[in-house]
Amino acid sequence: MNIPSSLAIIALAALIHASFQLSVSVLTLLGSHALGTKQTPAKLLRLTTGFLIGAGIMTMLLISFTSLVLLHTFGTETPQIIWATGCGLLIGVAVSIWLFYYRRENGTTLWIPRSIATYLTKRIQSTKQSAEAFGLGLSSVIGEIIFIIAPLIISALVLIQLPPLWQLVGIGIYTLISSLSLIIVWVLIGSGHSISRIQHWRESNKHFLQFAAGAGLIVLGFFVYVNEILGSTVGGL
Amino acid sequence: MDLAVDIIKHGNSRQPERFEREKLHNSIVSACLAVRSPIGQAELIANNVCEAVIDWLQQRPEVTGQDIRTVTTRHLKNYHPDAAYLYEQHHMII
Repeated sequence: MNIPSSLAIIALAALIHASFQLSVSVLTLLGSHALGTKQTPAKLLRLTTGFLIGAGIMTMLLISFTSLVLLHTFGTETPQIIWATGCGLLIGVAVSIWLFYYRRENGTTLWIPRSIATYLTKRIQSTKQSAEAFGLGLSSVIGEIIFIIAPLIISALVLIQLPPLWQLVGIGIYTLISSLSLIIVWVLIGSGHSISRIQHWRESNKHFLQFAAGAGLIVLGFFVYVNEILGSTVGGL
Repeated sequence: MDLAVDIIKHGNSRQPERFEREKLHNSIVSACLAVRSPIGQAELIANNVCEAVIDWLQQRPEVTGQDIRTVTTRHLKNYHPDAAYLYEQHHMII
């Protein structure tokens, strides 16, 4: 696979990651709580920035760690069975997202374990310092790991085939693009937009986001399957 | 003064709580401030909504937390629809 194709796959996987909503939900609630408890605009900005940096760093650590594990396990020549498993995982997660991502009720309640949701809500209520918001950002990425694991693994498989310098570029691209939705909400909150309008938009478009995330995973899975499994099989004949 | 009304919490596993006006007031003020209302307006709206909710509670010795939320949202909507929306959504964001 050439470098532009590899980076395109990483970018698409990161875009799918960006469409997942747990971190966005936590950031929205954090902004709402900070405003509701009469925090100054500067404090609000510090908290939301701390959260954004925490989520970005955890994403970067996860993609780097997954790449390292895969590199040590398979080297730069990944067996086709692993690619096929990765594609299967993408399709499986896509179907799960279409079926289960949001709970069947009003609002944007996600199908994550309720204990994680309760833990995050309690942490939001007790977050007063930027360092706590940073930790919350780290936790929120871990909280949606069951959904982000598929694009993460495929990106890692692609990354380990790249030359070292391009691996760093790929990690940077993945982290930046996967944080885009958070960056947009961060800018909106920081520039004085109403939290209720942000939440209203999220609630109105939740089924579209759900469909887009699932469809994106299917497209990614199909592309990787054709490129890595069929391409090498047919090309090798 | 608080009413002698028990609030049954979600899931039935938790003990009922006595209704506290201050707690309701603070939650409404928070919702108004979260949509960037001035503090004076938030306090005024919270007072009016609390009075309306207490009126509704007069003949009810026991209600659920969801009942309180529904009635509060209904009255808050008259004063500040944005705040009412956020108040209603607060438990449904994550």
